[in-house]
Amino acid sequence: MRGRPYELPIAQPPRLPCRYPCSHRVRCAPGSLTLSDLSLQRRSGLRGSDVPDWLVQQGLPRVDTPNRIEAAGEQQWVMALSKREFWMLDGNQTALEERPASVAVTPNAWPLYCQHSHVWWHLSGDDRAALMAKLCGVDLSEAVFPVGHVAQTQMARISVIVAHHDWQGVAGFSLFLDQSLAAYAWSALEDAMQEFGAC
Amino acid sequence: MNPRLDAPYGSLIDRNQPRSFTFEGETVNGYLGDTVASALIANNHWLLSRSFKYHRPRGPLSMAGHDANTLVQTASAPNRLAEELPIDLGEAVSGQNYVGSLKRDWLRALDWLGRFLPVGFYYRAFYKPFGVWRLWEPMIRHMAGLGVANLESQPPYRDKQYLFCDVAVIGAGPAGLSAALEAANGGAQVLLVDENTQLGGALTYHRFDTDVESSTTLLSSLHQQVLGHQHIRVLSSALCNAWFTDHYLPVLQGDRMFKVRAETCILATGSTEQHVVFRNNDLPGIVLCSALDRIIRHYAIAPEGDVAVLAGNDLAYHTALQAHDAGLSVTAVIDLRPSPDDETLCEALATRNIRLETGATVSEALADRDGLRLGNIMVSHLAADGSVAGERCRIACATLAMSAGFMPAYQLACQAGASLSYDDASAHFKISGLAEGLFLAGSVNSVHTLEAVCADGRNAARAALTALGHNADTPETVSCTARVNHPWPIFKHPKGREFVDFDEDLQIKDIVNAARQGYRDIQLVKRFSTVGMGPSQGRHSALPTARLIAKATQRSVTETGVTTARPPVKPELLGLIAGRGFDPHRHTPMHEQHLALGAHMIPAGTWRRPGFYGDPVHRERWIREEALAVRNNVGIIDVSTLGGIELRGPDAAEFMNRLYTFGFLKQPVGRTRYAVLTNEHGVVIDDGVAARLADDHFYVTATTTGVDRVYRDMLKWQAQWRLSLDISNVTAAFAAVNVAGPNARRVLEAAGCDIDLSAEAFPYLDYQEAAIADIPVRMLRVGFVGELGYELHVPSMMAHRLWEIVMAAGAPWGIRPFGVETQRLLRLEKGHIIVGQDTDGMSHPGEVHLAWAVNRKKPFFVGCRSVDIVMQQPLSRLLIGFSLSPDAPRPKEGHLVLKDGDIVGNVTSCEYSPNLDRVIGLAYAHPDDAAPGSIIDVRTDNGVVVQAIVTTLPFYDPDNERQTL
Amino acid sequence: MKRMQCPLNGLRNISEFVYGGQVTTMPNPATCTDKQWAHYVFYEDNDIGVMREWWLHAPSGYWFIAERHNASDEIVRTYDASECFSSRVDFSASETAS
Repeated sequence: MRGRPYELPIAQPPRLPCRYPCSHRVRCAPGSLTLSDLSLQRRSGLRGSDVPDWLVQQGLPRVDTPNRIEAAGEQQWVMALSKREFWMLDGNQTALEERPASVAVTPNAWPLYCQHSHVWWHLSGDDRAALMAKLCGVDLSEAVFPVGHVAQTQMARISVIVAHHDWQGVAGFSLFLDQSLAAYAWSALEDAMQEFGAC
Repeated sequence: MNPRLDAPYGSLIDRNQPRSFTFEGETVNGYLGDTVASALIANNHWLLSRSFKYHRPRGPLSMAGHDANTLVQTASAPNRLAEELPIDLGEAVSGQNYVGSLKRDWLRALDWLGRFLPVGFYYRAFYKPFGVWRLWEPMIRHMAGLGVANLESQPPYRDKQYLFCDVAVIGAGPAGLSAALEAANGGAQVLLVDENTQLGGALTYHRFDTDVESSTTLLSSLHQQVLGHQHIRVLSSALCNAWFTDHYLPVLQGDRMFKVRAETCILATGSTEQHVVFRNNDLPGIVLCSALDRIIRHYAIAPEGDVAVLAGNDLAYHTALQAHDAGLSVTAVIDLRPSPDDETLCEALATRNIRLETGATVSEALADRDGLRLGNIMVSHLAADGSVAGERCRIACATLAMSAGFMPAYQLACQAGASLSYDDASAHFKISGLAEGLFLAGSVNSVHTLEAVCADGRNAARAALTALGHNADTPETVSCTARVNHPWPIFKHPKGREFVDFDEDLQIKDIVNAARQGYRDIQLVKRFSTVGMGPSQGRHSALPTARLIAKATQRSVTETGVTTARPPVKPELLGLIAGRGFDPHRHTPMHEQHLALGAHMIPAGTWRRPGFYGDPVHRERWIREEALAVRNNVGIIDVSTLGGIELRGPDAAEFMNRLYTFGFLKQPVGRTRYAVLTNEHGVVIDDGVAARLADDHFYVTATTTGVDRVYRDMLKWQAQWRLSLDISNVTAAFAAVNVAGPNARRVLEAAGCDIDLSAEAFPYLDYQEAAIADIPVRMLRVGFVGELGYELHVPSMMAHRLWEIVMAAGAPWGIRPFGVETQRLLRLEKGHIIVGQDTDGMSHPGEVHLAWAVNRKKPFFVGCRSVDIVMQQPLSRLLIGFSLSPDAPRPKEGHLVLKDGDIVGNVTSCEYSPNLDRVIGLAYAHPDDAAPGSIIDVRTDNGVVVQAIVTTLPFYDPDNERQTL
Repeated sequence: MKRMQCPLNGLRNISEFVYGGQVTTMPNPATCTDKQWAHYVFYEDNDIGVMREWWLHAPSGYWFIAERHNASDEIVRTYDASECFSSRVDFSASETAS
């Protein structure tokens, strides 16, 4: 069933120490697409040659192929952006109070500030690849971009990381993009979503 | 309305749904599925428009949207093809290019004046004497204009979408359908594109045989299989308008442009039927054979009056047979050849009592009494050499269908680099030199019989499958010996008006004259005569032009060739190319707060920044007030747009030392240094402040617009040097504000900053880490504006709270937010340069007083050798400060600095300073004039030269006492 | 639109990439002549053939090397920069002042 697109009423956000552009927003084209902001959820990144071994020491999976994402527990993932850059995503926790670390966790493993530099959105629904085809030149259809795949590409002329993984049991795309472009990107996505919500 | 033929004729119309529209103010009836063109001719109305140059009456030629004869005007837009406009468009339609009425165009007299308007006439006649073109141009444009643009019309929402496939098949005729099926059955994902509403191409209208059954059965079978196939996506009413590298195909459908990315591409684009060139061959009622086929089969229209057929090949006979069998009155077939290749066709005509005239042509068409429709044709004998040898008979007919042959629809293939050749003896075309992964199928490949066309389609699919790495059957043998092209369907008439190009009203003599004028090259013939420049892009004119030029220059058609095929294949809407506008713009985390404070936002690179706070009408006042607040009290500015780059690792200092001009190895932890970046040419390209956070950790700022490039350059050097460090662009991770002014320290103390801010504990150019409330802050005691100031860098998502806290703490002092325009004035008062504004592509450090920031004792930095070389040479210019009285004409950025009348430099910055009550600025001047007190000449608007006084920098607080307080 | 194989990200539209010039060898800036340096900074050989070029995949900030024929525009091969630049580069003289 498809319905007219609507925006869920924004619950008055609690007075949080962090505020993200578009935070707490959800945009729906019912039955077809849902775009949600997950920016408050915890994510951290590490870069350097020693990162893969360090991750294994932490009990996290070793993701040897760049541009792949693997589950690391319930609602937790490790995303490999290269052979030396990895992001840890945690859907269970919010990360609001922490000071971003800048000191190496191990000699060649430098923390990245992705909690503050990038917003985290999630796009789910059957038409997600069709929607992205209006904004992005990479084929994100299931056959060539299955769950577990990551693409570092451009969307509506800005850089974006698209990760295909389950969220609360439903497959969808996590989108990570520069927070300063969030307002622009949200409106571009909303605009592209219009046609998927016709009654 | 005339009655239509019974079903199965009329495959496109729904007889149960009558529709109507108005043409030239009159109501026209038809059915859903009709186009404006078909509904008009169903009502015996063949006059659709007036021609471009001579205002001759014109009607449909191809019925496929392939010519410009049917361009009509609708309320919202001009130049729309009547064959493509649906009857239920909902807009009034009218003809184009006439004065008075379409039927009685006052400018039709131009047709009689035509002999005074030869090709190239405009260039030669109206340009002399010099300047006279300006007088002629509006008149000529008015007479030769096309439709009228509706400037009020609001474009609909148009957008673009990528589509991905393994095989794109362009054209869904028998070849395309066969190819799509074969490829899909072989495991490929197929996209099938066709410009018509109905799949099937010629199968939907042509009868390939005396037996009509076989083609109908084949069509429905192919149709069914294709539409039901899970690996085939069909786009109908969709035009593939270009081929770009690596099979990137723009496909236009409705209000959307699909950007198709195909791994391989099969062109089954068919062929374009060619007209016969004879006198008055443009009269309404004279159509291509395929057009008459379409009129009958698609729209069930039986045109009034008698029908004659002019045949250059056997296929035209099928048109005559089909028309007769549908109930039309077919009087004659005139064959350019001595006899048809298939002798049984003569018998088929005979049994139907259709007269056959062989070895003859139509030498002239004659209009009916109104002059708006075909009335008679003059049939003449053809001599052995193909020329007209004398009149044979006159035949009355209202419709003439003609076919001189078929030219491959070569446009897409040739855009992809292929070349088209023509065998003069056999009149066969060949396309060769196809790009990798590109295949031809069907009549574009010069295969014309139905079985061969389908086999050719399957073979193309097999080749595509092989290229994709799939298994494919071995190719079938395809042979086609059918001759479809008549070698010389061009018949000159003493009175002319034998049209080669209908769009541009060009006759045989126009083309021949071009050759006589010395234009042998087909490209030059095109530009001189305008042949092929009209909306149909030479679809019908290219071949006769090539033949005429070949003959005139004693060459072969292949040697003459056709003009370069370029996108687009058909005229397209710019709105579809534009699509939705994507204009990425960045907001800082304090964006909403700035708006709430009434900021006037201005673009700064891709960012939106407050220029100042207040309405733009009182701009000067807001900037003055903000500037005074910073100088005398305290202000706050959002500098989140500053670039931020982190260098971490054992080689961080070494890397800094190699990139920037200063020395950084011995920079103490907790101190900042000014960092200047030169490129390998020794030109200053960026600057910033480098803070050393730890032995192995630098945080360096870059300019708002320069940071992306600086970061890229760093990564590229690192890819070569392989040092031990990590380089991160942290621009988005940190937001920043600068709190500046004599009261800045007090405000930050009141905000609860948890470190000692005194000058002793935190002196100028120091770096410290602190917290305000619970927000971690990187504090740099630097100041672009030259006051006591602190730059506070915080994690982006905490910045809005920092802003709130500082604004609240500053309220008792009346803290004032200030914008980037105010900041530019304040830094100018201090003589601080902005890289990119006060520097250009030639500025080396010596010219902009940055020699002090260049360390020449270290072994290397990027550009060091160039800096050495240029700085040893005598200076040719120097950046200086100048001032003027406030009432003098004010120089602007870019105004020239003169010395003895020669240009020696230019103004780079200039503002009125309310603090100094002077106009102040920076400019490049001759080194001889650089001493304070010298006078330089600045040429301002309208050539007014003002004398500016060279002034010591900085203009304000020359001893720099305020920033170190 | 042309496509290029990024060694990290796969086949992508050329619009995702930024050209970074030919792969050249910098003469030793401490010892080379002015002429050698000027040649390095300003001159392109402009030969026809397969060139080694720097390309950046912008969304991932990844520099790599492409071998491209500059007349046919055919991309012969793309590979990680470490194939050509495998070890640390240092500049001769040591730091003497800060």
